Amino acid sequence: MFALFKKEVQSYFYSPLAYVISALFVLIYSLSFITWITSLEKLNLQFSFAAIFYDQFFYFIFLIPMLTMKTFAEERRANTEVLLMSTPLNVFKIVMGKFLAIGLVFFMIMALTFLYPLITTMYGEVRWGSLICGYLGFFLWGMGCVAVGMLVSSFTENQIIAAIFGEAAMLLLFFMDGFSQIQWMQNKPVLSSLLSAVSPKVRFEGFATGVFRLSDMVFYILFITVFLAWTMISVEKRRWNRG
Amino acid sequence: MVEIKNLTKQYGQITAVNNISFTANKNEILGFLGPNGAGKSTTMNMIVGYLPPTSGQILIDGMSMNENPKEVKKKIGYLPELPPLYLDMKVIEYLKFVAGIKEVPKSEREHQVARALSRLKITDMRKRVIKNLSKGYRQRVGFAQALIGDPQVLILDEPTVGLDPNQTMEVRNLINMLRKDHTIIFSSHILQEVSAVCDRIVIIDKGQIKAVDTKENLTGAAEGDIVYILKVEGECKSVEAVLKKISGIKNIMEVNYVDEKTSEFKIELEAEDVRKEIISEMLENDMSIIEIKKMTMSLEDVFASYTRGRSYSGLATEEIDDDKK
Ligand SMILES: Nc1ncnc2c1ncn2[C@@H]1O[C@H](COP(=O)(O)OP(=O)(O)OP(=O)(O)O)[C@@H](O)[C@H]1O
Ligand SMILES: [Mg+2]
Repeated sequence: MFALFKKEVQSYFYSPLAYVISALFVLIYSLSFITWITSLEKLNLQFSFAAIFYDQFFYFIFLIPMLTMKTFAEERRANTEVLLMSTPLNVFKIVMGKFLAIGLVFFMIMALTFLYPLITTMYGEVRWGSLICGYLGFFLWGMGCVAVGMLVSSFTENQIIAAIFGEAAMLLLFFMDGFSQIQWMQNKPVLSSLLSAVSPKVRFEGFATGVFRLSDMVFYILFITVFLAWTMISVEKRRWNRG
Repeated sequence: MVEIKNLTKQYGQITAVNNISFTANKNEILGFLGPNGAGKSTTMNMIVGYLPPTSGQILIDGMSMNENPKEVKKKIGYLPELPPLYLDMKVIEYLKFVAGIKEVPKSEREHQVARALSRLKITDMRKRVIKNLSKGYRQRVGFAQALIGDPQVLILDEPTVGLDPNQTMEVRNLINMLRKDHTIIFSSHILQEVSAVCDRIVIIDKGQIKAVDTKENLTGAAEGDIVYILKVEGECKSVEAVLKKISGIKNIMEVNYVDEKTSEFKIELEAEDVRKEIISEMLENDMSIIEIKKMTMSLEDVFASYTRGRSYSGLATEEIDDDKK
């Protein structure tokens, strides 16, 4: 499984994709960092890195399908799926190897933004506790999105389609708690509370404000587990249906 | 070593493989011969555990894929129809990766990769990115991949497709070299190729097995036949009439109308020296021979003999009659 993990991580650096994504990511982060800093004096607010995450997540999650689009779609198109499937690797290991590899790439990209808090310590004070909490929440939500993106990729042979439907899924996840607030939903309290209970964004609020709740963390882990399991089933099912 | 029992695969309504059974013994090369769409690749994908069979059983070294997938898969090296390559990788990186996923012990990896490279004569190419290799070299990298992990069973799906004649010979030699400690099943639609290296041959068509036999019996049945192509200046009908009178001709397999004055026949002779008789008969009847050449049996002929039978049906006379009406 380690060999697959290593190959997957490397594959992001063969193509310009990983560099482009990290550049975009850092750019977005920097822009919002600058916006916050410049508005601080006017508003006399307390600055929080986690708030940037919360503020900018909308943009961030759109980068994730670009990381996940090729996971299974490309394997299938290039006919390398048969190589993976005819070696001692099983579906669990294949999915986990790929998931962990994207996790590492995502982590590396995220780590780039850590530069800003480091610079800040030189000139001011950083509240490390809430910072780490924010990063943790961001990472967990990101990995949840990765799991969803991988599932979408396992449905198709076409990377572009995987990317487009991945984006759609991200949108859906992002606006899920929004849906639960609309008038129509308010009349159906059960459905509404259910929707906001499973909305990953709601869970992120705690992390973003520096409040660590075990239940939130468990939620994300469960969320990831469900989607990874679904991906495994989907990959296995494809094998039965295709030739 | 590889036992296949009543294997069936259906893709929706299509039955790609229909209740086939055969066995490849230890250290034997089994040729898997069939035309396009016969179900060769489907069968191979099932043997290696990629495609689940609709029904039937596959035993590798007495073990079934369902019971012990990990151990069984370690015993098999597979070269699929399209070599499964990661185009962005270098050849050596790719082979090391394959060694990794096949769980080759770390200490052996270096050695196995080097051996596979040298066996396929691609050591010089090891630093090249696979994307930039020609089709033939890609095919060889795919073959090298199948050898990693030192599997006892090799499943090769049309390993020589896309290779030039020299490379084809080299791959055949390699297969010959591997025969002493490997069980090899390899598919092809070229009879010569299969008969050159295989101990036994399975002929498959439309998902069904047409024949399983040793090379000698099977190609003997086909190649023992003496088949000539005869091109004669003369009208089809009259030439045929002359040919029919020659007792040494076992069977007129094909009659081709070339033009008004020329006709071509595919004939099977009882013995080589019947040829002389044909030539003299032709001269006597004032028909000059344009060409007479010996046929090597093609896959179609072997198929014909296993599927249609071989009796002569007097095609020419009927055809010409039809034309007149
Ligand atoms: N995924 C699939 N879905 C539906 N039918 C399929 C699929 N794959 C193969 N088939 C059908 O199954 C039959 C056998 O195909 P297969 O690829 O096994 O043939 P083959 O013997 O390998 O032929 P070739 O010499 O062209 O490689 C064909 O009729 C093909 O159309
Ligand atoms: Mg095929």
